[in-house]
Amino acid sequence: MYRRKRKILSGDNMKKIKKKDIGKLLSKWQADFTVFTPSRATGVARMEEWDGKDTDFLTWYRNTVIPPKNNILPNMEAMFRFQKDEAGYQLEPVTPEQKQIIFGIRPCDARALTIIDMVFKDTYEDRYYLTRRQNTVLVGLGCTNPYESCFCTSLGIHPAQSADVDLMLTDIGNELLIEEITDKGKELLGKSSGLTDASSNDEDSAKQSRETAYQKVTRKLDTTGIADKLQASFEDKDFWEKVAAKCITCGICTFLCPTCYCFDINDEISKGSGARFRNWDSCSFSLYTKMPAENPREEKWQRVRQKVCHKYEFYPRLFDTIACTGCGRCIRFCPVNWDITQTLESVPEHSAV
Amino acid sequence: MNDIESKLRTEARNLLEQGKVNAIIGFAPGSLKFTTTPLITGDKEDTDRLVINPFIANNLSVFLHEIEGPVGIVAKGCDARSIVSLIQDNQLAREDVFILGIPCPGVIDLRKVEKLVGRDRDEIDDITRDNDRVTVAVGGENKEFSITEVLRDDCLSCESPAPKEYDLLLGEDNVVVGDRELSRSHIRELESLPPAERWEFWKNEFSRCIRCYACRQVCPACFCERCFVEESEPQWISPLPRWQDNLVFQATRVIHVAGRCVDCGECERACPVNIPLRSLTGKMDEIVEELFGYKAGTDKDAPPLMTAYVPEEAEDFIR
Repeated sequence: MYRRKRKILSGDNMKKIKKKDIGKLLSKWQADFTVFTPSRATGVARMEEWDGKDTDFLTWYRNTVIPPKNNILPNMEAMFRFQKDEAGYQLEPVTPEQKQIIFGIRPCDARALTIIDMVFKDTYEDRYYLTRRQNTVLVGLGCTNPYESCFCTSLGIHPAQSADVDLMLTDIGNELLIEEITDKGKELLGKSSGLTDASSNDEDSAKQSRETAYQKVTRKLDTTGIADKLQASFEDKDFWEKVAAKCITCGICTFLCPTCYCFDINDEISKGSGARFRNWDSCSFSLYTKMPAENPREEKWQRVRQKVCHKYEFYPRLFDTIACTGCGRCIRFCPVNWDITQTLESVPEHSAV
Repeated sequence: MNDIESKLRTEARNLLEQGKVNAIIGFAPGSLKFTTTPLITGDKEDTDRLVINPFIANNLSVFLHEIEGPVGIVAKGCDARSIVSLIQDNQLAREDVFILGIPCPGVIDLRKVEKLVGRDRDEIDDITRDNDRVTVAVGGENKEFSITEVLRDDCLSCESPAPKEYDLLLGEDNVVVGDRELSRSHIRELESLPPAERWEFWKNEFSRCIRCYACRQVCPACFCERCFVEESEPQWISPLPRWQDNLVFQATRVIHVAGRCVDCGECERACPVNIPLRSLTGKMDEIVEELFGYKAGTDKDAPPLMTAYVPEEAEDFIR
């Protein structure tokens, strides 16, 4: 349902827009969509509803702290409301109907959505996630200044190219080149204004800009055979204990991870009425696997192992893709500088099991 | 490598070799610029990776309860106070810890540096300190700052950069370069607000809390095996990250660490959404000092503040 078809467009079809006209374009889109852009207005960088004027993000924005998964899988959301009457409980479904545009999503975070789509439309179709996903248009913006912690290129992601978005923008100085990726993107372009035709020179500049961005991603991770290596090392308690020693088991890496999708479910009830909510949960927390009789991941090394193996072993086996996009948030924001690339590089060689 | 660093490596190696400790907890170079990372090891070869620099941010005493003692631990002044506090609370036996005291010159606050130079930390080429001056090399330019502009707020109000409790002090005691007033300016600012505005301020701050619990996890004073937020029968607060519950969580946490918080500032540094948590703990520390004349972690033989009863403290309603 969400598989992207990448169209190769000829230069004549390419459009561009002046950065100073972005405000006008977003305003126009606001007539039909709720538009989200990178924002620091709340005190932390995340995708916030556009205030109708601020386009400063075009200069400061490298990536958000809170990943855009928050706009598809919010850190808390109501699933349904309920009320008690003589006949019993009456349920009132909650459907996320808002049509939204996420403007400026980075290729890593867009890929992350493609990756978690797989789990949300697997045997069980999660209508909350999928409805929101369907109602969302992703306007990607290529990186020009990746972080030191970024390693997207090691996961087959280009920091300035993406087939996981609907429209893809490339910074070419005072203007942004616009590439149409999906039909959804094409439709949005039809509702746009202030665009001009891009020349072949513009395309060359875009190519240059993309190449420069690619070269700036210097952190590398060799993922060859990683799933097998992890599988063979699963029982290597010494290794995992060593790796986990400095982890403080907070939820930063998982909550800020664009591919971590685990959630908890909680009811709130007062005098017979209330709602069922879901909210982000983290396998770093010991409570996550606590059951009445036992906790299979009581020890922190077991939880650290779970996080690493879920991304680099279990997910590849289930869905044929690593559930990590190298966005580097887990490295950048970790209070103890626990670095997943170092862990993965130190997985010992064990004979296959 | 500086003198303290080489001395530390030698001493740490000796401790392991002589079997005086099972493990060493210290700092190793981090994987990102201007970071260090906790090094927890029983391997004497690892001691060559120990570093002491202006970026030794973590309060390493948070790891002590996880390792079977005796343990050798690198401790700044504040960390040593945390260790003392843990001893007071019977969380740790004095003989189970060998304190390698660091006369701490103060930790540089990367958020402050970023603000001053208008660039992110990974865009900065170098940060060097020469006594009270700090030079930041960025974009081919050298920018000079006074040390009080770039030290962490908690360091600015530090009264004992060198541990008072230690087994070995690696170097001379330092002069305090602090600026207590500057360090507390945000608290004063908040105090000057009318209550309704102050309420609005915290409401706004806690609206972006994501309940990652990093503040709790980096805090050595948060040693409860089971935190009240994890109680489900009955449930004390909702796990949903609403500002109300977020605020109740933090307010309760702050009160729980009263008399234990040593103002190491780690909760604020760890917070990924920039909530100025130290303005809460710092205020609480001031109240503790004012009401009880008590400073956390300064006397290992003193009874812990919250478990000791002194008749003079009684409120009228108890009497």
